[in-house]
Amino acid sequence: MVLALARTWSGYRTAVRLGWLVSSNWTSPVPFVIYTIIRPISGALILVVMYNVITGGRGNTRNYLAFLVIGVSFWAFVTEGVSDFAVGILEDRGRFKMLKYAYLAPLRFPVFLVGRASSKLTSAVASVAIVLVVATVGLRLPINPLSVDYPLLAIACLLAFISVMAFSIALSVVLLAGRDAYGYGEIMAQVLYIVSGAIFPISVLPGPLAFFASLSPLVYWLELTRRSILHGRVYEMFPGLSDGEVLTRLALATAGTVLLGYLVYRWADRQARWKGYIDMDAAQ
Amino acid sequence: MKSSPSEFEIFWRTVLARAYPRVVGLSRNLSWLFFDFAFPLVGTFAMVFVYQGLHAPRQYLGFVVMGGGMLAFWQNVLWTMGTQFSWDRGNGTLELMAVSPTSFEAVLLGMAGGAMIMTTLRAVAIIVLGSLLFKVTYNLGGLPPAIGVFLLTLAALYGLGMLLASLFLYYSREAWHLGDAIQEPVNFLSGLYFPVHALGAYVGGAASLIPVTLGLDAMRQFLLPGTPRFLDPALETVIVALEIPLFAILAVSSLRFMEVRARREGKLISKWS
Repeated sequence: MVLALARTWSGYRTAVRLGWLVSSNWTSPVPFVIYTIIRPISGALILVVMYNVITGGRGNTRNYLAFLVIGVSFWAFVTEGVSDFAVGILEDRGRFKMLKYAYLAPLRFPVFLVGRASSKLTSAVASVAIVLVVATVGLRLPINPLSVDYPLLAIACLLAFISVMAFSIALSVVLLAGRDAYGYGEIMAQVLYIVSGAIFPISVLPGPLAFFASLSPLVYWLELTRRSILHGRVYEMFPGLSDGEVLTRLALATAGTVLLGYLVYRWADRQARWKGYIDMDAAQ
Repeated sequence: MKSSPSEFEIFWRTVLARAYPRVVGLSRNLSWLFFDFAFPLVGTFAMVFVYQGLHAPRQYLGFVVMGGGMLAFWQNVLWTMGTQFSWDRGNGTLELMAVSPTSFEAVLLGMAGGAMIMTTLRAVAIIVLGSLLFKVTYNLGGLPPAIGVFLLTLAALYGLGMLLASLFLYYSREAWHLGDAIQEPVNFLSGLYFPVHALGAYVGGAASLIPVTLGLDAMRQFLLPGTPRFLDPALETVIVALEIPLFAILAVSSLRFMEVRARREGKLISKWS
């Protein structure tokens, strides 16, 4: 039992390290850091300019600016965890032609996938932190690191990461069926962007979409990140719910996502083995 | 005995030959069609909802819808033209192109021509769908000059695409990540989702080097009355027109330079690294 756990841990660490190397060893550290932060910073700038154009930066709308900035900064976790992860797995198969070897290794394949996803989520931390620091200084947002509710933020992020991993692992195995599916991970991340309350409250969405969005764990995660960082000084999507109630909803939505992700993964994995997707030459 | 075709004939045959799979291939690979259509559409909808969340005037939804249409072209230039040489290198086509009697310019022009037809249809679909869903209205009197500016913008944009493609003759994964990295900054600097006027004189002036920035601003001024003016649309049109030869010259020089470097260091035949 202990030996099995040690082997799993060792395999997990190897998968994390592999993921990190594949993501970063194409250049030296400085260009890599610039590459990591330029996308979220630009995304945040787009929203800040849109906000300024409409509101003129009036004082009574600052809560909404905080809502936008925190949403877009934490979104880096979803971009890395869903879009970049899916592309990474497809590249493992199509470009590097090593996915079948990961599948053949004594390590269980889901552990390899969790390791690869972990490296993606970890690499997003720097981008989240930098966007928040830049926004705090540049936009004079009242973010004080000493008054952040870290336990709430940590629990919310942990649950969100579990649901993002469950979703992206299932998605990436489904995408193995496609010969040229590189863009689908990004499209899925964009769809989640719409239904997650990252850059606008889900109440703006048309009725059925708003209901669908309310089932997503990402909505409750982002609400909790905003509350834990700027409680009372940020626009809230669920002003009638306490922190505990939002956390409960996040936990339930995460459990649902993990269950659904597991079922989809099992089905997609069977399909992949049956139809030879694991080592399919996607270039043909 | 039949004489060899002239360089001119080879050039245009290559253009047609490279454009052909771009047009025909799309009907054979519906996933590409879906991707090219869905990606700008989803991004456009997200930004429309941001404006709705800010209770913005309806005119701003028009800015986003038009920006979404242009995004289809920018995505096309970046991912199916700029990065195409990377795929070609991976599947061995690039080395075949290099040993054939044709030029990379002809290959890229064919790619651009083939892609332009389909991307235009997709952009029109995005604009029509977005306008109907979000009830955006346009000044139809401004349509003829807007179409003129649009064509000039496309010519300049595809010149920029050729310039980007030249990087892929030499670089591999670095250029791929460069493409990924410049996507969002260009979305910001070109004012895809807000009037360029909001960028201010300095940032907006620097961003004018991206053809979409001034082209889109001029089109908005023609089609969406009340668009905050960055520059006079006639001046913006002239600048975009000047960018066409600028990017063409830069692209040809860069292709020559990168080709020589790639040949010298064996990069034309090296796979993904």
